[in-house]
Amino acid sequence: MSAMTEQPTTAPQPAAAAHRGSLFRAELHRFRARRFVQVLLGLAVLGWLGAVVIGLLNFGEPTEADFADARQQMEEILASERAWYAECAAEAERAGELAEQMCGPGIDASTWRVEDFVQTAPFDFAATADAGAMAFAAAAAVLLFLIGATWIGAEWSHRTIVALLFWVPNRVRVMATKIGVLALAAVAIGLAAQLAWLLMAWILRTFVGDGQELPDGFWGDLLAVQGRGVLLVVLISLIGFGLANLVRNTGAALGVGFVYFAIVENALRIYDPMLERWLISTNAAALVAPDGVRVVDYSVMTTGPEGPPSYLVTNLQGALVVGAAAAVIVGIGVWLFARRDLH
Amino acid sequence: MPAVEMVGVSKTYRGRGGQPLKALDGLDMVVGSGGVHGLLGPNGSGKTTSIRALLGLVGVDGGSGTMKVLDQPVPSGLPGVIGDVGAMVETPLFFPGFSGRRNLRLLAETAGVPSARVEECLELVDLRERADDRFKGYSLGMKQRLGIAAALLKAPRLLILDEPSNGLDPAGIRDVRELIRRLGSDGRTTVLVSSHLLAEIQQVCDSVTILARGRRVASGPVAEVLSRAGTGDVRVVVPDPAAAAAVLSAAGFSVSPTPDGQVLVHGAPAPGQITRVLAEHGHYVEELVRVTPDLESAFLAITGERA
Repeated sequence: MSAMTEQPTTAPQPAAAAHRGSLFRAELHRFRARRFVQVLLGLAVLGWLGAVVIGLLNFGEPTEADFADARQQMEEILASERAWYAECAAEAERAGELAEQMCGPGIDASTWRVEDFVQTAPFDFAATADAGAMAFAAAAAVLLFLIGATWIGAEWSHRTIVALLFWVPNRVRVMATKIGVLALAAVAIGLAAQLAWLLMAWILRTFVGDGQELPDGFWGDLLAVQGRGVLLVVLISLIGFGLANLVRNTGAALGVGFVYFAIVENALRIYDPMLERWLISTNAAALVAPDGVRVVDYSVMTTGPEGPPSYLVTNLQGALVVGAAAAVIVGIGVWLFARRDLH
Repeated sequence: MPAVEMVGVSKTYRGRGGQPLKALDGLDMVVGSGGVHGLLGPNGSGKTTSIRALLGLVGVDGGSGTMKVLDQPVPSGLPGVIGDVGAMVETPLFFPGFSGRRNLRLLAETAGVPSARVEECLELVDLRERADDRFKGYSLGMKQRLGIAAALLKAPRLLILDEPSNGLDPAGIRDVRELIRRLGSDGRTTVLVSSHLLAEIQQVCDSVTILARGRRVASGPVAEVLSRAGTGDVRVVVPDPAAAAAVLSAAGFSVSPTPDGQVLVHGAPAPGQITRVLAEHGHYVEELVRVTPDLESAFLAITGERA
């Protein structure tokens, strides 16, 4: 350190004069500079491009060749079915029973349509819009769970959050800022995911679409699903953040998440099928799905017209349950962080 | 106004099996404004815990005394003065995937410190050429230097450095000590240095607090602490040491030979008496030196620990 000969000359601004938002800006810069975030988002873009290409290759107006392939496939299956039925009928005859009783009704080739065997169909945006929005919300939620967990998990791994307290000793403010940055990023990425779905749908509709008009009220319904999808992304990112903050380790947080979704939820479903209505995964789906999710208890045998007992998990319940889970997990972590000794 | 004040501060950790472990036991420490103050003590004496307590990282036992940093109570008043406090505690803590420069810039942005100051501090610790390398690629010494640069970013009035020489090569150690001395003598900065290197404390510190088992066992200017721990021995150089020793012994002094054959007078309260007695018997003193223990001896004597 031979250069350590001169005193610093540039006087920094006094702390009181520092911009109030500088911690937020610094955290925002750190978020954007994180390689893990950049890699994940890069992979997401590649995945989107792949999905677009697959969509372009699989949707479209069927050609004569497609019809020929479909006809050949139908005839092969029809021949196979006829052979099986003939064999079954012969067996029934040997057994002295009626073929209709043992093998069902005979093969009626007149009900078979070539169109049903055509693999290629044009893209139907009206029919797939909600499912696509939900799928993109789910993918973004998984992405943000990982980002949320690593966002704070890396701080604990490298103990940089302790060093940050040398600059901002107000622990709640530090944690609130990190949560704020994550929530902002989750909104941005959630919106980007929904825009990516709309862009993908536009490309597919333009090049391999069915050319049908969209029904009345289509956009209102779709935007509602997409908005709830963005909310889901934010809440799931907070759950990832909260778990990693509680256990102070990214890997452990991901492990806890895996154990919960893979083991705890399934165990609860087996224990009591109607507990399904309170599970985070069910409520997350219900939050985004257009009409919520209906949980049906198929373990109850019924013969009446009312069917087995069921419970409708509404959008509102989904938001409240997932929101409460996020609030509790994050809240406990922040409370502990504000109180515990840091080494 | 003291830069740091701790009065009757206790901190109890919970050990294995819930056993209470007293890290600080009614610790008192006052660090005056300006200069370099050393914090010295054996492992487990409470040095790092006291620094963590001052920075609000660990809470002290309820109702156990008071702490102030730059005249503000800790932890409630810490946010008001944190802009004037720079610290590096134990190992430097940075994001390994970011470069040294980016790590410093993020910290600077947090406190509204201009980015030009980042370059100054990198220059100050001689890291500019490697500033764009990732932190995880740094050597231990480079990491330590970046930690010092981060602590200096705010141009703090109070600089707290925990073991600042760790991992540095001899030249790096010398430079850090020079930097600490320079900062401590600028009339503005108070430097609190914790170190297990006794020579370091002796070389760079104006005053020292010695801790043992979570308590202060000595404090004050380094020279004063050393003299307090002194034995009162006086080394006397005369032309005929054997005869002089006999004279002194007959006069009631406790004497023994030094390794170089001269006379060591033990527990002499007034060295002038030695000169007088010897002169009366025709022995003229060529050299008379009060034996001052080095800090290591003083430290061991004060804390009652022997190697």
